[in-house]
Amino acid sequence: MKRQVKGMLGGLGITFRTMMQPSVTVQYPHEREEPTPRARGVIALKEENCTVCMLCARSCPDWCIYIEGHKEQRPARREGGRPRSVSLLDRFDIDYALCMYCGICVEVCPFDALFWSPEFEYSEPNIAELLHDKDRLGEWMETVPEPEPLELGAEIKGKK
Amino acid sequence: MKVDPRLPTPGGIPEVDIDPMLYRHLAGAAVNVELDTGDMILNLGPQHPATHGTLRLVVRLDGERVIAADPIIGYMHRGYEKLVEYRTYPQITTLINRIDWLSSFANEVPFIFAAEQLMGIEAPPRARYIRTMLTELSRIATFLLFLGEMGLQVGAITPAFYGFRDREYALNLIEAVTGGRFHPNFNRIGGVKDDLPWGWINDCRQSMKKVLDSCDDFENLVAGNPIFEQRTRSIGIVPRELGAAYGVSGSNLRSSGVDWDLRRDGDPYGLVYDELDWKVWTHPDGDSFARYWVRLQETRESARMVLQMLDALPSGPIMAKVPRIIKVPEGEVWVNCENPLGEMGYYIFSKGATGPFRVKIRSASFSNVSILPWLLRGAYVPDVITILASLYFILGDIDR
Repeated sequence: MKRQVKGMLGGLGITFRTMMQPSVTVQYPHEREEPTPRARGVIALKEENCTVCMLCARSCPDWCIYIEGHKEQRPARREGGRPRSVSLLDRFDIDYALCMYCGICVEVCPFDALFWSPEFEYSEPNIAELLHDKDRLGEWMETVPEPEPLELGAEIKGKK
Repeated sequence: MKVDPRLPTPGGIPEVDIDPMLYRHLAGAAVNVELDTGDMILNLGPQHPATHGTLRLVVRLDGERVIAADPIIGYMHRGYEKLVEYRTYPQITTLINRIDWLSSFANEVPFIFAAEQLMGIEAPPRARYIRTMLTELSRIATFLLFLGEMGLQVGAITPAFYGFRDREYALNLIEAVTGGRFHPNFNRIGGVKDDLPWGWINDCRQSMKKVLDSCDDFENLVAGNPIFEQRTRSIGIVPRELGAAYGVSGSNLRSSGVDWDLRRDGDPYGLVYDELDWKVWTHPDGDSFARYWVRLQETRESARMVLQMLDALPSGPIMAKVPRIIKVPEGEVWVNCENPLGEMGYYIFSKGATGPFRVKIRSASFSNVSILPWLLRGAYVPDVITILASLYFILGDIDR
């Protein structure tokens, strides 16, 4: 009986102590917690870097990236050279209703055209609106954070 | 004493307060002979809060006592074993994150280690340390949720809030490194994706101290509470031979007195457990309280392990040299590991393509749940919830 009373009082002591501590709840729409810089919120597209190589669309596990492009002839750089052919992006859509936020597309992109942004407030009442086109994806570029420094002992990689 | 649970142990059932066979006799006897009330068939679920998902439990009741229970699984079957045959190795880690969504980092590690073994690649030491740390952090996150939620299932609402609050310490740390709270997708063949961010070690040290404090709180608030003890003591006893025969593993088996942990006794699957100083906790009783107590001690032990690893973290690269397009050579491999919920294993059969030819996934909860028909027979209806909560399974882990 003594042990039971002690157990009850011990528990009550913990709840009382917690009551005196400040609350950890964040009242979301009024106050906002900043996500970590690495948080995978939304994918941003830097359109001028994209070469329509389709690597991201092919490596996506649930095929939620839709890319269309065409080739254009540009005049040669030097006098008498052959005209260059340039790939131009017509359509770059990511369907965020399907996206698993795995980040494989960002990782495979060989020309650094895709970036993660920790922004997360883009929910829509209509599911079709979650298909972000390339203009909308380009707007997210402003929110992409700078790469943060690494912990002690990490190997510093040279710029590619 | 080390006991391989697959072998029959001499000495019979260990000393427990109530002979668990008594339950079976009680279940066989007709309780209400005079009244002849007849049986009632009751559906628990598929949407029942105590089942953490969609587990349907058909129980036949005689009064308040369960005569027979039949768990019906498969409501969340997503066909992972077939799905991964059509994906490449880097894509598969995103899928197997979703098997056991509470400890998804621990799901990735054995799969990646199996592929590494087939390719003959070994991850560098710093990558192995980061993997081990994040595996233990996901174990802490899983168990802290259990510690709070187990109280909720037996009627105490305060620990549930504490559990969800304290789990954030571990989840925030995982998010700061991997970018994802629940689905990290952080392991790569040959290492990990990224190094730790600046200041993480300091944050982790402080958070682990908070976790150790909250473990003390749970010990006093829940495990020391007389009502909680009465609700859980000698409820749902798993005898050690029977548990081993059903394939129950992990902390559920350790709380039946079997001193068996794959982190220590098995192949360490590329992690650094053999370099750490830690202890495997067991409890002789095998009841719901023992399962709670063992998980409480294991949370503490994991926090201590993380603190040790923070001190011993080596410097160096985090990726071994791997080809750009990953093709795993022909062969087959079986890797099993100690997940928070129990033994998890991957059998990979490769034919030399960019994806596996066949993958068999052994998940812990599937075997843990298979003992339910035996365990629930003769229990009272409120105890059904206690037993379901204390076995601690994840439906995604059962159905895959």
